[in-house]
Amino acid sequence: MASMDTSTARLAPKAARAPGSLGTGDILRYALASIFVGFCLFPLYMVLSTSLKAEADIFAFPPAWSFRPIWDNFNDALFVFGGTGVMPFLLNSVIVTAASTAAAVGLGAMVAYGLTRFRIRGGSHLFFFILSTRFAPPVAFVVPLYLMVRQTGLMDTHLALILIYTSMNLSLVVWIIRGFFEAIPVEIEEAAEIDGYSRLQIFFKVALPLVKPGLITTAILSAIMSWNEFLIATVMTQNKAATLPVYLGGFSGSMGLEWGPYMAVGAIAVLPIMIFTLVLQKHLVRGLTFGAVR
Amino acid sequence: MAHVQIRNVSKIYADGTPAVTGLDLDIAAGEFLCVLGPSGCGKSSTLRMLAGLEEVSTGQILVDGDDVVGRPARERDIAMVFENYALYPHLDVFANIAMPLVARRRPKAEIRDRVGRIAGTMGITEHLAKRPGKLSGGQRQRVSLARAMIRRPKMFLMDEPLGHLEEYMRIELRREIRALHEAAGGTTFYITHDQEEAAAVSDRIAVMSSGELQQLGTMKELIERPANRFVAEFVGEPPISIFEELRATGTEVSIGDWRLPLPPGSRKARPASAGVRPAHFRIAGSDMPGLSAEARLVQPMGESAAVLCDTPAGDATVIVPMAAVPREGDRFRLVAAPEHVHFFAASGRAIRSGED
Ligand SMILES: Nc1ncnc2c1ncn2[C@@H]1O[C@H](COP(=O)(O)OP(=O)(O)OP(=O)(O)O)[C@@H](O)[C@H]1O
Ligand SMILES: [Mg+2]
Repeated sequence: MASMDTSTARLAPKAARAPGSLGTGDILRYALASIFVGFCLFPLYMVLSTSLKAEADIFAFPPAWSFRPIWDNFNDALFVFGGTGVMPFLLNSVIVTAASTAAAVGLGAMVAYGLTRFRIRGGSHLFFFILSTRFAPPVAFVVPLYLMVRQTGLMDTHLALILIYTSMNLSLVVWIIRGFFEAIPVEIEEAAEIDGYSRLQIFFKVALPLVKPGLITTAILSAIMSWNEFLIATVMTQNKAATLPVYLGGFSGSMGLEWGPYMAVGAIAVLPIMIFTLVLQKHLVRGLTFGAVR
Repeated sequence: MAHVQIRNVSKIYADGTPAVTGLDLDIAAGEFLCVLGPSGCGKSSTLRMLAGLEEVSTGQILVDGDDVVGRPARERDIAMVFENYALYPHLDVFANIAMPLVARRRPKAEIRDRVGRIAGTMGITEHLAKRPGKLSGGQRQRVSLARAMIRRPKMFLMDEPLGHLEEYMRIELRREIRALHEAAGGTTFYITHDQEEAAAVSDRIAVMSSGELQQLGTMKELIERPANRFVAEFVGEPPISIFEELRATGTEVSIGDWRLPLPPGSRKARPASAGVRPAHFRIAGSDMPGLSAEARLVQPMGESAAVLCDTPAGDATVIVPMAAVPREGDRFRLVAAPEHVHFFAASGRAIRSGED
């Protein structure tokens, strides 16, 4: 480590400055970056701070930067508000997101593996067709989907959302994981075949572990999409299977917006998916196939 | 240990590339067969067909009399060493070596025992808990050899297993490979393009070119009785000296100013070219019958030197002991025993005494 530091110092005179001191260029760069980050995070700050404010503080102008945080809004959102509270919607969101993410990643990995490893007539076009299902805006599918869901009697069920979200995410999952499978040297799988494994065993014991970063990446992306999807959810579910975004949407429709509980529900909606992402991200290791082949 | 017969096997890839054409090869049970040939001649294609990783276009592969064409690799009872190691990067060395046993559901205790033993033989015991990414190239290839040698399969298939290693490592490992082959008593099909390595490890060598078998024999046979001009030129280091312009008169043939009796087999096929290996040439005084030559370049090779000479028939190379090396510009004659002068017909086929 020490030798590396001295060598970089020799090569780059700028790095020879005393640690901690910044040049003007650096200061400008950091300032710009800070402004941008602040711009992006400000709405989140507003959601979180408003959810902790009393009614008077919420409408203070200019906004109150320091205030006495209260938990009343969360109490309202969880247990009182609207008679039922946020809990059933939170649960619906978790069920729909978990199931559709697992299904999309599981099926997607199999599809991607099949398409990369077996010679299929028109295989390369298939990839394009698969992604093309995302070319049209989802709103274009709402009416046909609505009719299908109604005909099959799946209105206001978890299954309806799980099926629709799975199919919406599948194309992205296949598209991304395919790249990870293609990066596995085919010799590793040939070695496994010679060692005595069947194709299915090779898939589970050799190929899947090697595309773990791809599985995690697509799981995060799928989960975020399912968690936040509003349009389909609001059409296909009314109350029994309604998810958090549907519940949130209900606020702005009602008379006299209750900002405090609204923002508390918003905060509750952000946290689980944020924690999910942070936990999974830890397992995003790079260079899994290092050392396999020369 | 298995008797392997490759019968009239051809491989044409989906894009139309003919990789192997009408190959016939008989590998005796327990034999160590090396395949030698220039890049792209179909060595790997042949090996992959033996392994079941590539389909056979036409022909048969018999293992102990059973046609295995169409049988998947995992049912062929083989072990393979890949040129680029092909280790499982997500598993430690122990699990890598154990894979063929785990796949066959051997008991845990037996696996531990056998992995420990082969790791000891290959000198990688202290690395068993590491992932392949933490090993050097030589250690990785030892792991991949250990994985292949953990069982006693019908056949070992090795595709340039030492190709990526340093010379000293190649020499050490090829000795171990030969020893392991003998200990396991397997039939081994081994690809290399290092002739010295082929001579060191093999019982017999198959020389291939453009998808066809050129000759099958020991290194001695390839050197002393090359079947055709390709084998003569491809095998042997430094390469054979070839003389393109021959003049045949009655019962004699001349190479430059060197007159030799026509080989007996040349009554039907006229010799179109001739070749003499550098080790078979000797330097004689200018008054002796032979090919007059002038030393142009002396390349020392340890105990001896290769001397490149100008002759009336073209370039020729002779190997001379260091003590007797001529100086550049010296004139002398090159002579060789008649059995060491190889004649080739225009087709490239060798013309042999006793063949007509
Ligand atoms: N999958 C493939 N599809 C099409 N052509 C192929 C394929 N694999 C090999 N070939 C071609 O077949 C011929 C023989 O290839 P092969 O790999 O058997 O040669 P090789 O003797 O092993 O060469 P090297 O010494 O370079 O490894 C070559 O012309 C090669 O380009
Ligand atoms: Mg090859």
